[in-house]
Amino acid sequence: MKLTRGAALVLGLVVAVYGALMLYPLLRVFEDSFREFIPGRIGSAANAPLTLANYTDLLHASYVSYFWDTFRIGLIASVLGVLLAFPIAHFVARRRSDWLRRATVGFLITLMFLSVLVRVYAIELSFGPAGFAREIARLFGVASASRFYIEFMIVLGLLHYAVPMSALVLIGTIQNVNPRLVEAAQALGSARWKSHLAVTLPLSARGLLSAFLVSFTLSISAFIVPMVLGRGKIMFVSNLIYTRFSELANFPSGSAVAVVMLGISLLVIYAVSRLTSGGWERAVR
Amino acid sequence: MKRLADNVLGLMVGCLSIATIAFLVAPLLIATVMSFDSREFLGAFPPPSLSLQWYVGFFSDASYLKGLQVSLILALAATALSCLVGVAAAFTLDRYSFPGKETLSAFFLSPLVVPHVIIGFSLLLFFSTIGVFDGWVRLIGGHLIITVPYVIRTTLASLVGIRKSLTEAALILGATERRAFWKVTVPLAKTGIATGAVFAFAYSMDDVSVSLFLTGPDFYTLPVAMTAAMRSAFDLRIAAAAVCLIVLTIALIWFLDRVVGLDKVIGQGVYHK
Amino acid sequence: MTVLELSTVSKRYGQELAVDNISFQVEEGRIVSLLGPSGCGKTTTLRLVAGFEVPDGGDILIRGESVRRKRPYERNLGLVFQDYALFPHMSVEANIAFGLRERGVPPSEFPARIRSVLDLVKLPDYGKRNPHQLSGGQQQRVALARALVTRPSLLLLDEPLSNLDAKLRDSLRVELRQILTSAGITTIIVTHDQSEAMSLADHIIVMNRGRIMQRGSAEEIYGAPANKFVADFIGQTNWFRGRLNGGRFVTEDGLSITIAGKAPGGAVELGIRPERIAVQTKGTTVAVGVNALDGVIDKTEYLGSTIHHWVRLANGRRIHAVVQNNGQCFARDGESIRIEIRPEDCLLLAPDEQDPPEPRDGRQPICTHVLQEGEGGRRKVS
Repeated sequence: MKLTRGAALVLGLVVAVYGALMLYPLLRVFEDSFREFIPGRIGSAANAPLTLANYTDLLHASYVSYFWDTFRIGLIASVLGVLLAFPIAHFVARRRSDWLRRATVGFLITLMFLSVLVRVYAIELSFGPAGFAREIARLFGVASASRFYIEFMIVLGLLHYAVPMSALVLIGTIQNVNPRLVEAAQALGSARWKSHLAVTLPLSARGLLSAFLVSFTLSISAFIVPMVLGRGKIMFVSNLIYTRFSELANFPSGSAVAVVMLGISLLVIYAVSRLTSGGWERAVR
Repeated sequence: MKRLADNVLGLMVGCLSIATIAFLVAPLLIATVMSFDSREFLGAFPPPSLSLQWYVGFFSDASYLKGLQVSLILALAATALSCLVGVAAAFTLDRYSFPGKETLSAFFLSPLVVPHVIIGFSLLLFFSTIGVFDGWVRLIGGHLIITVPYVIRTTLASLVGIRKSLTEAALILGATERRAFWKVTVPLAKTGIATGAVFAFAYSMDDVSVSLFLTGPDFYTLPVAMTAAMRSAFDLRIAAAAVCLIVLTIALIWFLDRVVGLDKVIGQGVYHK
Repeated sequence: MTVLELSTVSKRYGQELAVDNISFQVEEGRIVSLLGPSGCGKTTTLRLVAGFEVPDGGDILIRGESVRRKRPYERNLGLVFQDYALFPHMSVEANIAFGLRERGVPPSEFPARIRSVLDLVKLPDYGKRNPHQLSGGQQQRVALARALVTRPSLLLLDEPLSNLDAKLRDSLRVELRQILTSAGITTIIVTHDQSEAMSLADHIIVMNRGRIMQRGSAEEIYGAPANKFVADFIGQTNWFRGRLNGGRFVTEDGLSITIAGKAPGGAVELGIRPERIAVQTKGTTVAVGVNALDGVIDKTEYLGSTIHHWVRLANGRRIHAVVQNNGQCFARDGESIRIEIRPEDCLLLAPDEQDPPEPRDGRQPICTHVLQEGEGGRRKVS
């Protein structure tokens, strides 16, 4: 049906809401990133001179290391998340509708909905200095205050979202893979684990990439997890933006970091969605 | 030999999965148990005896209660507004075709890919420069933009699944387009709308990253209060608050199951018997 | 009276002419089938009648009144969709009541009318059930009940039996015919299945590429097809290419076959139905005027009630013949036999489906038995 005036009005209003709450603010951030920082103001002064200093500052080693930490740890967490989620998703997908299936699905959705603070607090309590930090650190052969252990805690915090999220995406994917195919492979002589490798995994490729993409995007934007569990030793880019605002009220610099981060995120999404060739919104779904 | 490898690998993968789930659940269980700790300090797990002192402490703390109140009202307001905006957008997108429809749909889903910190940061900048300082307006605005895409996504998915023959059947039976819309399309889209509403409520209650930028010293949400508490006094009242949030989340999931059915949320796939 | 009339109706989608200037009428109480392969325009015609599409040319009249400008809900028609389209969020009762409510029937009448229509489709106590609890056959009957309860002028069925498995299809075919005749409702059935059309309908309209190829009873369409398309679409035919020469047809591969009757002008092909070919042992006397051709059995398929022979003629041509199993000996693989073809069984038809501009009915049917009006009801045979 062709667009009526009423329908166009509705869409226009929604676009206006998005424009006011997302587009325009982002544009302001973009603009602000090119302005000079004058202490004591929120945002830059109206006639502040244009500068690229906010961006060039970021090229210093310490800033680069924040970006590096963020993407490295985010990558580890997303890959692990997808790998760990796959068998769980397969288990649920192949089950008939019964209480165990619904319980597992309910559990996964609960984990996904659970406030990040609850997860972070629970992890800090259980695996932090007040909990089993020393015992587990000893398992890895490191000190409980070492960088490695702190990274481990952050990854664990990220996995708390990555695993259920990936599992839910993968359940949908695996359900649409014909179960008879693995049986056919086995009838032809392939062991069951090999059949999965040869059949289920490749056919789920799109879902795997999609799950990875969602986990990765969310991991690199993580804020609370690195803030609490990082204990100041490890900072993510989002924490950097926050300190720019809270400690120094340096909006131009924060804006520059935000622009860079958003740019890299969008690039990653674009690249992965070209791989799946399904369009980005389907990749994010 | 093949069978041995199969069985061993199967066992390993199974153990790995159970271990994964255990690692995910364990902290929550530990936190829950610790919230009933009778000791007045943060001691080692497990607690020697149980008490409700932390819950009492949580519910009698004015700042926590204020935060809880704000969070609940905010979540309700954000959900209501999201449903209004989201359902209108989804129905319009489904019904009409026009050039640029794909792009517009993608645009409506775009907040899902913008990091929340950036949304919070940009909204703070925006609201400050246009002179909007009211906490409610800021927070509702922020929560609206992050929850609306979920409502649009689930509602649209639900609408797309309605067979064309159903609306045609309504028409041939004597219903006008408008009546067919209200009697057939809307009821069948209800599951999508309900799912979206639950998502919106959950993510609004959960949000910290956006709220942190838009709250102030005398106006804040529960998660923001908990964050502040975690940095200053890492006591077990936070555990009590956490358990309350866990219970609330489980209640939401149960509600979702009753109204929509968790199987519908996930779908059955094409090969399900 | 004429319930439905299509007058030079055409519908175009982009470059494609889905319905090309067709006209036909349906009298009250008749069951008519639109029969043809996919893409022939039958479904488009149905949707035009229902009002889901608007014709580009021509007019559609229901009970003498033009409905061209009328929306589907203003036409008082019943339609059973191919996927039944039962509202999943309503019970069987609510589904049926939907049409009653939309047409302004007073609610006090609902229970009685719902009950009577459920009795008609033999599902008397199913009112409270939900569509997903019903089998395919039951869903179809509820869809039928829903369409009939509003007492429409015309009932439209879109491939009614195609979604059912074979056994169910056969039993439901009989029941469906029963329901339609006892309701006495004017019906149009759209189908690609010739046995569905031939068993359910009094009158068949064969369509291809948007045009009407032939219209008539099942007997007329089968026994006297108007062109090669109809002869091929309904039943099977062996075809020979060649030329007419006096009272004979000389094929490309050298056979000479005596024909009967007048052949249409222009190029023709000779067709002969498999069941019209008699398979005889060599040496028996041939009746006067009957064509006899020697051949060898290439393959015999014993299918129980019928026996199928593939016969290789002397000139190398392979022919398909079907013989009723009458318990006697039948020819085996490799046997030398003789096939016999009567001149009056030969179909002489134009090779490309020259769609007759004025859709003409086929030749007079073979059967000359005279039926009184009222005997066998709706058929008009001379």
